[in-house]
Amino acid sequence: MTTTPWVCRNCLSRIAWPSIRRIRTSIRFQSTGSVVESVPPALLARARNIALEHKQLTDQLADGFDTRAAKKAGEYSSIVNALKEWDKASESVTELSSLIHDSDAELRELAAEDLDATREQLQNASQSLVTSLVPIHPFAHLPCLLEIRPGAGGSEAAIFAGDLLSMYQAFCNRSGFRFTLLKYENVNGTQEAGVPLSEAILEVDQENAYGVFRCEAGIHRVQRVPVTETKGRTHTSAASVHVLPSLQENSAQNEDFDDPESDYYIDQKEVRLEVMRAGGAGGQHVNKTESAVRLTHIPSNIVVSMQDSRSQPKNKEMAWTLLRSRIAQLRREKREEEMVAMRRSVVGVAKMGRGDKVRTYNYGQQRVTDHRSGTTVHDLDDVMEGGPTLEKIMESVRGWLMEQDVAAMIFEGDTKKR
Amino acid sequence: MPRLPPSILRRAHAIDRFLPPLLGPCRNLRAAQNELRWLREHVDKVAKARHAKGDTISKGSLLGDLVRQRARGKPLQYILGTEYFGDLEIRCRPGVLIPRQDTAASITHLVHLIHAAPDLPSELRLLDLCTGTGCIPLLFRHELFASRPSISLRALGVDVSYTALKLASHNFQRMRKLHPASFNDPKAIEFIKADVLINPFSDYDGGSSIKAALNYHRASFWDILVSNPPYVSSEAYRMTTERSVRLFEPKLALVPPNMDGDGNIAVEREDTFYKPLLTIARDVEAKIVLLEVSDVHQALRVARVARALGIFDGVEIWRDQPGVSEETPSSPIDDIPIIGAGNARSVLCWRGKGAQWLGKHAVSLTPPTPAYHAER
Ligand SMILES: C[S@@+](CC[C@H](N)C(=O)[O-])C[C@H]1O[C@@H](n2cnc3c(N)ncnc32)[C@H](O)[C@@H]1O
Repeated sequence: MTTTPWVCRNCLSRIAWPSIRRIRTSIRFQSTGSVVESVPPALLARARNIALEHKQLTDQLADGFDTRAAKKAGEYSSIVNALKEWDKASESVTELSSLIHDSDAELRELAAEDLDATREQLQNASQSLVTSLVPIHPFAHLPCLLEIRPGAGGSEAAIFAGDLLSMYQAFCNRSGFRFTLLKYENVNGTQEAGVPLSEAILEVDQENAYGVFRCEAGIHRVQRVPVTETKGRTHTSAASVHVLPSLQENSAQNEDFDDPESDYYIDQKEVRLEVMRAGGAGGQHVNKTESAVRLTHIPSNIVVSMQDSRSQPKNKEMAWTLLRSRIAQLRREKREEEMVAMRRSVVGVAKMGRGDKVRTYNYGQQRVTDHRSGTTVHDLDDVMEGGPTLEKIMESVRGWLMEQDVAAMIFEGDTKKR
Repeated sequence: MPRLPPSILRRAHAIDRFLPPLLGPCRNLRAAQNELRWLREHVDKVAKARHAKGDTISKGSLLGDLVRQRARGKPLQYILGTEYFGDLEIRCRPGVLIPRQDTAASITHLVHLIHAAPDLPSELRLLDLCTGTGCIPLLFRHELFASRPSISLRALGVDVSYTALKLASHNFQRMRKLHPASFNDPKAIEFIKADVLINPFSDYDGGSSIKAALNYHRASFWDILVSNPPYVSSEAYRMTTERSVRLFEPKLALVPPNMDGDGNIAVEREDTFYKPLLTIARDVEAKIVLLEVSDVHQALRVARVARALGIFDGVEIWRDQPGVSEETPSSPIDDIPIIGAGNARSVLCWRGKGAQWLGKHAVSLTPPTPAYHAER
């Protein structure tokens, strides 16, 4: 298990720069599938600055011991080593690449033989360098909740929301992620696929799931001819995906619920519990099957209700899980608002907001375009089946997110210095 | 029953053709949708089980059939074969009363009150009279095990109905499979047949009185006595009780006979059980007694009878959700505190050690602190 501390509500800087940590499992996930081809120039510059600072620190340490300097140098050393590896590999690649055009045939052959292996080394080095630098999202290691709801576009939007749910379920199946459908309401009250969906909450009970799925948050737009359309016109509709880090009652972080510093902390006195009652005389007079539970968090006016299970305690438990997640998310969003406003002026993080279209699924052209990373793929069917093409897009967004984080980090670093 | 507005029926039909018939018993779309979903899940389960036996059934026609039964008022719990009582999925069968959420709420609250008591005996003895499905001792055991696993429970459930007793034993076996940790002791809960209304000293006690039965089982003393006896008056049975309850649940479990075993006619027929129950409580020296009742009037009558016995140190009335405090707490009536939210649902009496187990302090110099706060 990771030991990521709960981020204190007031320390904005922790989010922006959660200290330089070694590669975490979340990043390891990022490195499966596609590979970091090169190191963004801004990152490289940052690494070089750190290397310089590291050099100064070690010089300082040579003169006499200083705990703080030692600690800092220790934190930096992984970056410095990664940079060294990268420099070495990158030099070799450059050298070999020039030899490939040499007039000497034997030399050309030798260079070509070496080049592939060296390129691979460079890729690995780039990967390590990037991951050693990038700030890790404080919730990346947690399981997550995916909330899917239809947006504009009537029943076609509701059908598409159902399609997105199947897409994520298939993706989880393929990736071996455990998941549970916490809440499922299609307009029929059934679980059939392809039936218009009114709300679904999928819990992905997998370490790092939040890190994997947080790139999915936003408005997903679909362009296609709805099955109900008789004149063959293409419609545009949308569904929203909301991604929350999830913390289950029985998970290892249990004690954090009682820690007022935790985002998940809820003062029980501030929650109103209502159970659906049979009404009337009650007792032996009625045998209704009402089991719905509603929780209202009075200060924020967040209301969650659960009635999927016939068991009232089960509904209560699920409602609490959901309430905690919603409140934690709210707290986090509030805290980040300020940050985002600051970043917005420098980098294009604006595209990440909840209200913005993040991706378009165009059935006519069999095309899926992500508007943040700018990636377009053409195997729409594979995307909808949660296949490798979906993973490729998600990967591209994670890469994009990472760049945003890095840019913001550098920007904040600069403003702090000033 | 007021007719449903056609607009709801139309809307229901547009969603699913099985919904309109369910609106009859459910009365609202949300509830009907939930029930339809549970019925579908049930049909899927049945189909799968049959399939495993090499049998195939038509899910559509089975569902149609079940929806029709439900539309005629058959309780969903009898159709699905179970009802949730707290955390426990209790088996239900026609002929035995379906457990109610209100009862579960009282039992859960009772365990919640006593679980932290420092001086609980290492073996706690619970007597449940009129046990039906056996749901009360089962939930009591389950909840107590969750919060105080070191205390062992010895429980006895009593009923006059063989059908009920058979189902109660079945439920105990079922729980032993579903929750082996809570129910590891095969002897922890027993069920016996006896008639709580028969006076042990009357001439025609053919050994079926509770006293005779307890003597026979060498179990004359009990720490806690609980009962959810029949308490519906014949008038309420006609006017208040839901149609589905009247048509499908056993009247024996709901409406008391108008005289007890001695031929004493209770002034209020619906109160027939309470005097005999309180007498048994006295004889078995129960420290805590929890009796379910129909409403606040009956609660007050029972509380007064309990007081008049002169053996209890305290009596109070619980509402449907005893753990939830009302925004404006009810003031005591006749010095009898009324606790919680909802309809008045049970009467709690205690004496001796029962006071400490419940966290009541017989003599206290400081004013009592409110022990009830919104439960999670
Ligand atoms: C209201 S039900 C309660 C069942 C169960 N305790 C529950 O809460 O779901 C009452 C039960 O009392 C039983 N009963 C009725 N008359 C009885 C009697 N004279 N002696 C013992 N049990 C009786 C009925 O068979 C029925 O199971």
